[in-house]
Amino acid sequence: MTNMNEVASQPGFGTSPHASGVDLGQVPAKMTVRDVNFHYGDFHAIKSIAMDVPEKKVTAIIGPSGCGKSTLLRIFNRIYAIYPNLRASGEIILDGENILDPKYSLNRLRSKVGMVFQKPVPFPMTIFENVAYGIRHHEKLSRSEMESRVEQALRGAALWDEVKDKLKQSALGLSGGQQQRLCIARGIALKPEVLLLDEPTSALDPIATSRIEQLVEELKKDFTIVIVTHNMQQAARCSDMTAFMYMGELIEFDRTEKIFTKPDKKQTEDYITGRFG
Amino acid sequence: MSASLYTTRRIKNIAAMAFSILATAIGLLFLAWILWETLSQGIAGLKPQLFTKITAYREEGGLANAMVGSLILNVLGILIATPIGVAAGTWLAEYSLRSRLGPTIRFLNDILLSAPSIVLGLFVYTVIVLPSKWLTNGDVTFSGIAGGIALALIALPVIVRTTDEMLRLVPGTLREAALSLGVPQWKLTMQILIRAARSGIVTGVLLALARISGETAPLLFTAFGNNFMTFNPIDKMPSLPQIIYEYTKDPSPDINTLAWAGAFVLTMFVLALSLVARFVFSRSKVSHD
Repeated sequence: MTNMNEVASQPGFGTSPHASGVDLGQVPAKMTVRDVNFHYGDFHAIKSIAMDVPEKKVTAIIGPSGCGKSTLLRIFNRIYAIYPNLRASGEIILDGENILDPKYSLNRLRSKVGMVFQKPVPFPMTIFENVAYGIRHHEKLSRSEMESRVEQALRGAALWDEVKDKLKQSALGLSGGQQQRLCIARGIALKPEVLLLDEPTSALDPIATSRIEQLVEELKKDFTIVIVTHNMQQAARCSDMTAFMYMGELIEFDRTEKIFTKPDKKQTEDYITGRFG
Repeated sequence: MSASLYTTRRIKNIAAMAFSILATAIGLLFLAWILWETLSQGIAGLKPQLFTKITAYREEGGLANAMVGSLILNVLGILIATPIGVAAGTWLAEYSLRSRLGPTIRFLNDILLSAPSIVLGLFVYTVIVLPSKWLTNGDVTFSGIAGGIALALIALPVIVRTTDEMLRLVPGTLREAALSLGVPQWKLTMQILIRAARSGIVTGVLLALARISGETAPLLFTAFGNNFMTFNPIDKMPSLPQIIYEYTKDPSPDINTLAWAGAFVLTMFVLALSLVARFVFSRSKVSHD
């Protein structure tokens, strides 16, 4: 394994030759993915992927179903580790440390890397408790501190005005879009550095979708965001960088504008123009 | 679609429907018949003294001691079986993922689920009643505790199974969502999953209670029976099913009537429990998908 300090101190390691070699301009990489492989039992789902996820930008991962984009996202916070027979290899450097190192504490990783899932999954408790639950596990706050922290998170997720009068009600009574924003609030309440969004709008209607997209735009001021999406318009609308994956490989990774106007690879062009076989 | 195909399909549909209705009607007929029979035979015995007097007075008495005994035995059984059953079911659903022991235990639990209850009674007789007799020089033999343990053994697999199944119905995404907040597995299980599956688990416990409240066989060699009122769990203890069993064999028609009245009370109790279980389950069954 490479010395981590050495890696972190490499000048402009956003353009590291080990990684994708994409020019991110002046934006430093928040996460550097190096030679990451993933196996579901015998199935090789992610093949030697390398990419730099730029800090406080939105990186979209697109590709057809089964290409491994969600799998890749699920390596970023090691949530895959709860299932047997799954294994990842390679390195993902977050702030100079390899998060795939078994010694890297899951607790710490998950407080730094938040995740929002495809289907809204509120916990079976009140709206307030949904947000406070995760915070309580990582920090000891007084009642008033907690209240302001929850409010801050709900405001951050553009949900405060809709729920401020019913914080004590069950979160299961909210609409799908509200539940998803609650899940985002729950994620950002921990003040993570990276926020992973796994097809966050695929279960929502167009109005709720557009609210989430606006929210993503807002959130990138504070967080590094990685979003997996099936919806190419969504990737084009709200991301700065786009990665196109196919059959477990990273085909192309570049500025979103470039991917959607003049991609380098034929496969990428075929996919974004809908001519995919 | 051709008209003949449509007609054939309609005929098949009608036939299937008629068969289902007939099957339901047969089931309901027997249920109504049982209820009617217990009510009509036992109505003469449904007097206040049924609930206030004890069996020691025979024809002039009631079933108060048996009802109290049943209550104590059932509560004991459920108190013993619930913590063990919920914990075991939780282990099966949440922790046995990586172990081969899980499917084995699930299989063994299913065997226990269908074990004849008299066998469980004999088992408790051997491991509880006989040793307590030796240890206390015969002061304690048959006891409410032994009866409660026998009933717990019957309730246990029901609770294990429903807990296991209800937890496995909780969507995996809820687990992932909690774990992605850095919450440890035990907190996730205790604070989120059990809560999400709560109504199902409570239903399982109520159904287990309904199941054990009608058991006679496991109590014969354990609680034994008693014609007096007792609240002492190390005393011999009467129960409704056991008194019904004794009273139906009695030559006196008045005693037989009391048995029918007891049967009616017991049936109503089980019916009420099932209704409560349904209510609990339907009321808080909030969709998580």
